Amino acid sequence: MRRICLLVLVLVGWAVPASAQTVIPVDELTGTGAVYDQTEVTVAGELVGDFGVRGDGTVWAQLNDDSYADGPLRETGTHGEGNTGIGVRFDGSLAFDLDQPGGYRWRGPIVEVTGIWHHHDADRGGESYLEATSFDLVEPARQLADPVFWPLWIIGIGLVLAAYYLYWRKNQELTPTP
Amino acid sequence: MLLRPEADDFRIIGVQLGRISLVTALAGTFPLAWALIAREWAPATSFLIMVGVFALLGTASRFIEVRHHQLEWSHGMVVVALTWLLVPAVGAIPLMFSGHYGQPLDAYFDAMSGLSTTGLALIQDLDHLAPSLNFWRHLLHFLGGQGIIIAALTLFTGSGGTTLYYGEARQERILPNVRSTARFIWKVAAYHFVIGVAALAAVTFFLLGFGVWRSLFHAVNVFFAGFDTGGFSPMSTSIGYYHSAVFEGVTAILMVAGAMSFGLHFALWRGPRLAVFKNLETRTILGTVAFTMFLTMIGLAAGGVYSNAAGLGRQAFFQVVSAHTGTGFTTVPAGELALWGGLAFGGVAIAMALGGMASSTAGGVKALRIGLTIRNLVHQIRQVLLPEGAIQSTTYYQNGIKRVTPELGQAVMTVSLLFVALFLLGAGVALGYGYGVQEALFESVSAGASVGLSVGVTEPSMPLLLKLTYIVQMWLGRLEFVAVFSLFGFLYAWARGK
Repeated sequence: MRRICLLVLVLVGWAVPASAQTVIPVDELTGTGAVYDQTEVTVAGELVGDFGVRGDGTVWAQLNDDSYADGPLRETGTHGEGNTGIGVRFDGSLAFDLDQPGGYRWRGPIVEVTGIWHHHDADRGGESYLEATSFDLVEPARQLADPVFWPLWIIGIGLVLAAYYLYWRKNQELTPTP
Repeated sequence: MLLRPEADDFRIIGVQLGRISLVTALAGTFPLAWALIAREWAPATSFLIMVGVFALLGTASRFIEVRHHQLEWSHGMVVVALTWLLVPAVGAIPLMFSGHYGQPLDAYFDAMSGLSTTGLALIQDLDHLAPSLNFWRHLLHFLGGQGIIIAALTLFTGSGGTTLYYGEARQERILPNVRSTARFIWKVAAYHFVIGVAALAAVTFFLLGFGVWRSLFHAVNVFFAGFDTGGFSPMSTSIGYYHSAVFEGVTAILMVAGAMSFGLHFALWRGPRLAVFKNLETRTILGTVAFTMFLTMIGLAAGGVYSNAAGLGRQAFFQVVSAHTGTGFTTVPAGELALWGGLAFGGVAIAMALGGMASSTAGGVKALRIGLTIRNLVHQIRQVLLPEGAIQSTTYYQNGIKRVTPELGQAVMTVSLLFVALFLLGAGVALGYGYGVQEALFESVSAGASVGLSVGVTEPSMPLLLKLTYIVQMWLGRLEFVAVFSLFGFLYAWARGK
């Protein structure tokens, strides 16, 4: 009996942290969100958009775990589907080292967030979001390049100049000669 | 009998298309300036090319010599139909160069979706898109919603304004001439722009805690998409991104304002304001919104989707208003919307099909046609029940008392049936590719009624033919058939060679 109790304790002790650390895909959270309602889950991905600092000191951000979280499309050129993201709410004090959210110029910070999943939260008018309790910064935000491709500039300027020339020439035609 | 178009007919059409190209080139300088100021060099290049192509088309058209300057009805219709093909084609250049589309057709799809104020999107990795490109997507909503033709009419004087105006699916002329009506429409848009952007920026800055520039960025884009009942959004999670009931409330007001006819705006502007509630269209839309809201709420309650009334009410209200106004904003993910099922799903789908008011930026069958169909049906039933030989007339109030004539009833019924056929066409193609009935019908109605809500069918990997079908649906739905059929008639007469 003692052995069995010990075995159960060991298994439970092993299983609890393991389940808390299992990363749940965002698709699964949005598709079968009710299953995870009010339970602790861990999601991983890129924080994008804005860090909206609310009056109560909490911060809202969007976490994407799509294929572009590893490398934005503009950088990798690998086409997938649309973005998949969820809202994450966390205390402002957790976000001190997050730097810039992802966007055109930035690949946002890659984080592993653990928190309570709220599915159709009654207190927030039916919204679904993750209330973060801890953050692990996997990879900091980094700036993306915006290379200038000169041949396209030349084509563009050429087209505008050609249009202006036609405009000027027509005006010359319309101007009565003295 | 159709007369074969002569060379001069083509020249007249060319001149008008050139003028519209110049207007669009002018519009394209806004995102170009944005990209240059923000030092977004790659997007700036593509905007320069787009502006160059539009400007070149416009200035080249000035060399076309036209003998008869009279723009006839058929010319106007053909110009409008071609405008809605040409502008997305050139307007897709910056989108295509952005690298956010798998193939050029996807960029054209999004440009057509933007211009037709639909809001279905095939863009990939939207959340990393350059702000200037995002602005262009939303500006396309504004151009399509307010009407490029309206812009051309405001800027260029000339004959034939009326035919262009009606070709853009606008049924009523508010002021005595089309040009002053066009100016009034821009005045309404400018008035709403100032108030709408200020309200949205205030919410994002003070309540949501965004920075100043990001607040303005979100406010301008959401305004364009909301007021022009478009449905694109700056972020992939649509309005759900903001997690704010106040933001949703302001957006809902903009969507309703966009779905109101410009005649109604005029009545509210000039007064008496209470008279608008006598309008058949106003009464019909209030009734259909209440009906579809009721269906959706009952469906959500029966399905136990939300645990309390506040959640159910907020989500049902936003989704139904978005669907009924033809906007396509959402606060729930596409996958979740698909799971609503039953009455809730039906309520949203019916709201999409019914649409907003005539002469507004909304799509769908439109409230006036629904109201007239019901009035006509009641008239027919009464006629059957009356003694033989008895004649009765039916009237309705729409900015004055008007008679329901058999011709009017027939016209209304024809367009309504064409919309049904359009919805079935898209659904049929999707069914052929193995999509479920429910999702095939929902997505088709969304494309045909220029809504933009999606249950996940519209994605970059969907079949090519389905993409083409939705493009045609968006084109036909936005122009409400007449201009497109006129183009087909024109081409047929030309090809026949007599």
